[in-house]
Amino acid sequence: MTEPFVVNVFLTVRVFIVGGFLLILPRIVRKGLVFGTYVGEAVADGDAVRTIRRSWNRGCVMLMVLSLLVGYGISLAGRPVAGNLTGTAVLLLSAPLLYLRMFLKARVLAPPAVTRQAEVASASLSAGSTKTARFARIALAVCSLAGLATIVYAAVSYEAIPARITAYSNLCGLTEDFAEKSIVAVMYLPSANFLFSVFFALFGVLMTGAKRSLRAGPGGRSAAAQEAFHAIQVQTFSGTALLLCLVLTILAVQYIRIELSQTRSLGFGLAWACAALFLFMVANLIRILKVSGQGGALLEKGSADIPLTGGLADNAHWILGVFYVNKEDPSMLVESRFGIGYSLNFGNPRAVLLWGAITVLILTLLALPLVGVVK
Amino acid sequence: MTLTLSIDRRLEDPVYEQVASQVRRLVASGALVPGTTLPSVRRLARDLGVSLNTIARAYRLLEAEGFVVIRDRAGATVAEPAGVDQSVRARLLDHLRTVLARLRQTGMASEELLQTIRIEIQSLGGSAEETKND
Repeated sequence: MTEPFVVNVFLTVRVFIVGGFLLILPRIVRKGLVFGTYVGEAVADGDAVRTIRRSWNRGCVMLMVLSLLVGYGISLAGRPVAGNLTGTAVLLLSAPLLYLRMFLKARVLAPPAVTRQAEVASASLSAGSTKTARFARIALAVCSLAGLATIVYAAVSYEAIPARITAYSNLCGLTEDFAEKSIVAVMYLPSANFLFSVFFALFGVLMTGAKRSLRAGPGGRSAAAQEAFHAIQVQTFSGTALLLCLVLTILAVQYIRIELSQTRSLGFGLAWACAALFLFMVANLIRILKVSGQGGALLEKGSADIPLTGGLADNAHWILGVFYVNKEDPSMLVESRFGIGYSLNFGNPRAVLLWGAITVLILTLLALPLVGVVK
Repeated sequence: MTLTLSIDRRLEDPVYEQVASQVRRLVASGALVPGTTLPSVRRLARDLGVSLNTIARAYRLLEAEGFVVIRDRAGATVAEPAGVDQSVRARLLDHLRTVLARLRQTGMASEELLQTIRIEIQSLGGSAEETKND
């Protein structure tokens, strides 16, 4: 098999996975919500909404075809890797524009009654699952301790590490390029381990307190669906944090051990941990898509005709149907209107602070290799 | 079945009173049994999208009325029935007389008043003693 053929196969698989995911998204949102807009349960069953959904489906298929044509075209011109990246970029960058078009169409359908519905809010009288909350806290503690232990191990080993260290290695851990030893270069992976895994685990903990958006009236089924969705989300983030921490801990420790000549390769443990992380994430994504739906949409079928309440029914506080900004709502995390999971409440100063801190940390970690501080 | 409560900001009743009255009704009907832990102030405030003070005020009111017990770590739990306390019963009957008098003032006929009270009692379900006798 030639390289362009393999690269094009990768592009095709990726486009079908991402495109298929986009096609499914409108089917798993809670009834009443259409492309980031609350139009009410009755309107959501109407022909106008069906027309918008068909338009989205057509748009997604067209984007998939376009991205494949662009990718294959550049590949045929002799640059398969550039074709792969450009084809993917075309799909990922044009999908938000397609969403925006659908959002503007759906916005017109929101009747005045929807505004009044936002004045009503419902809440579950269940105190929430203590098991899930405990798991999230344990995951945060484990990730913090493992991250700190890796940093301490790197600091203790620093003196013994030779002046020239590995900058790049292949999947087997064999060195392909060298760099000068520095504190930043040695501490890069252990710090990344601490920050990324703690970030995921912290989100798991925050999700235990995320807003539960119920339907009005006797919403027992809606509340139970929310509880189930909530638990899946917390388990996904906390479980991902633990497995990511395992992957990065093995990676950071093995790199130092290679520098210290204690081992020659990254070892099979890393491959197993990566496989476990990948399978766990895929399994949980399928669990959300097939079992619960966004916000428990697939579990609340019996009560799906009862109106949604509170923040989720409040079009006034959602910018483009994606960004929730409500200063009077004490929630940090609220259920997303489109897509999967939760959105930050940008009207909450603590949520803005958290978002800012995470963005700065991630950008710093990504920028260090680009500016040459870490090779 | 998960129990829920709702608030409506368009109503004249303040939000804390709406929360308190629904919890009162659920306790009186037996849907919320003694010892049940209620959501924390923070949790309920987030779910309803109201301030922490609003829910704290509702819980304090319910505690003062003897419907819930608030402990620092355990949060708010539904209180055990107070038993036959003659002074409390006398005070509540006094409240009831005032309410009945005000309802009569609004022009409600005796039959209509009786009918309303009957419906309210039915919605609460059987009392503890009636349940035991069953």
